[in-house]
Amino acid sequence: MKTALYELHRELGATFTNFMGYEMPLRYKSVQEEHLNVRHKVGLFDVSHMGNIFVRGKDAENFISKITVENASKIKEGMGQYTVLLNEDGNIIDDEVFLHIGSEYLFIPNSGMHEKIAAWMRKNVEGSVEIEDVSDEFSILAVQGPLSKETLQEILNFDLDTLKFFGCQELSKENFKIDFDGRCIISRTGYTGERGYEMYIHPAEAAVNVFKELLSRGEKYGIMPVGLAARDTLRLEKGFMLACNEFAGGRNPIEAGLEWLIDWEHDFIGKDALMEFKKKEEYEKITFLECVDAGIPRHGDEVFKDDNRVGIVTSGNFSPCLRKGIALAYVNTKYRGIDEELIIKGRKDMKAKVIKGPFVRKGEC
Amino acid sequence: MEIRDNLLYTKTHEWVLRKNGTAKIGITDHAQESLTDIVFVELPEKGREFKKGEVMATLESVKSVAEIYAPFSGKIVDVNEKLNDEPGLINSSPYDEGWIVEMSIDNEEELKDLLSAEEYAKIIE
Repeated sequence: MKTALYELHRELGATFTNFMGYEMPLRYKSVQEEHLNVRHKVGLFDVSHMGNIFVRGKDAENFISKITVENASKIKEGMGQYTVLLNEDGNIIDDEVFLHIGSEYLFIPNSGMHEKIAAWMRKNVEGSVEIEDVSDEFSILAVQGPLSKETLQEILNFDLDTLKFFGCQELSKENFKIDFDGRCIISRTGYTGERGYEMYIHPAEAAVNVFKELLSRGEKYGIMPVGLAARDTLRLEKGFMLACNEFAGGRNPIEAGLEWLIDWEHDFIGKDALMEFKKKEEYEKITFLECVDAGIPRHGDEVFKDDNRVGIVTSGNFSPCLRKGIALAYVNTKYRGIDEELIIKGRKDMKAKVIKGPFVRKGEC
Repeated sequence: MEIRDNLLYTKTHEWVLRKNGTAKIGITDHAQESLTDIVFVELPEKGREFKKGEVMATLESVKSVAEIYAPFSGKIVDVNEKLNDEPGLINSSPYDEGWIVEMSIDNEEELKDLLSAEEYAKIIE
């Protein structure tokens, strides 16, 4: 599948990759340049491979509290939340942001997941709830970096200072300084750990002009289009999960280090299983590993302590900010104390040590 | 995509620049482009001998790992130490500053198997 911006990416010289069935820009020029540009200035991403599902109806709030680990009554209109959906076993089906816009909620499932999520939602519907999967009709753009606000303000009359972290807002035609005819929801969210915004645009084609205008009006801030390769290194430096890596094969939020997302004071699907799991003393938990030796850990590399296998790498890459290999790995709770030295068995053995995440803190690059 | 007329090439995307009795070796512009940003290099020690086709160096990029094969048999007479600190030179200057090793040529006959610029261009079309 192609996004509405495919031709524009081609014109911009993108190298493409197939990600979850979508032909997406992997990079335009250099992965590291794009990465550092987002850390220091601003980058523009097409993330239309992510899904869009509206949840509406008078029982929507209760329904969301049931199918996520969040108590949706706490998420007021104009705010969004990062959460996870669990199955009955307590394992994560998907992690996603949902936005509370007016009387409706917009869920942004991971790429390739929207059909599965919509089906799961429909299966668990209680009361008056409408589920509408509009993933193919929307484009999603992300503007990320310390100069993202200034850049976006070049095309919007809407005062971006009014949007709090995880805040969201429906924009009207009048909010745009450029020609725009469609629907646009904006949220102050992202996947890079920098200040940033995401725009959900309908119809999908309306995003083409927005993308072009952002590139030309953002030139003075040094804007660059950024591909999925840098998106991956950006999120990994911050320790953000990639669903198809970190949740593959069945992992629950306690193992994934996402227990902080859970509101234990309410009932939700998977809660009983999680309460039972919490009694365990030894299990594999997501762990930040920083390579001491030169080399790049990769997805699937096993982690050893002496001769014992104690874990597995789910995401590994080179950190352009730290200039060394970094990895997220599930490691046995007995072997994941800070500074513990472990061996990653990749192409060769690499010494790595456990650190407290994230790999790169705000402003540290 | 730059292909230089004065070089010889391998099917595995190494280039060879002949000097007197030795040759410099690197990877082609096409190879660096498809590997993306190279971030680590493992270079052989000076004096080590390789048979044609043996792995003599390894490049690791953000996306993948590439092995560099000896285009002919010989002994390493020099390595580009600068690459240890600046592996990105292979991306920015694959034919000049990004050269990888210099080797002595054991057997001139083996060089006959290498490709001309024209032949290499056809391979990567």
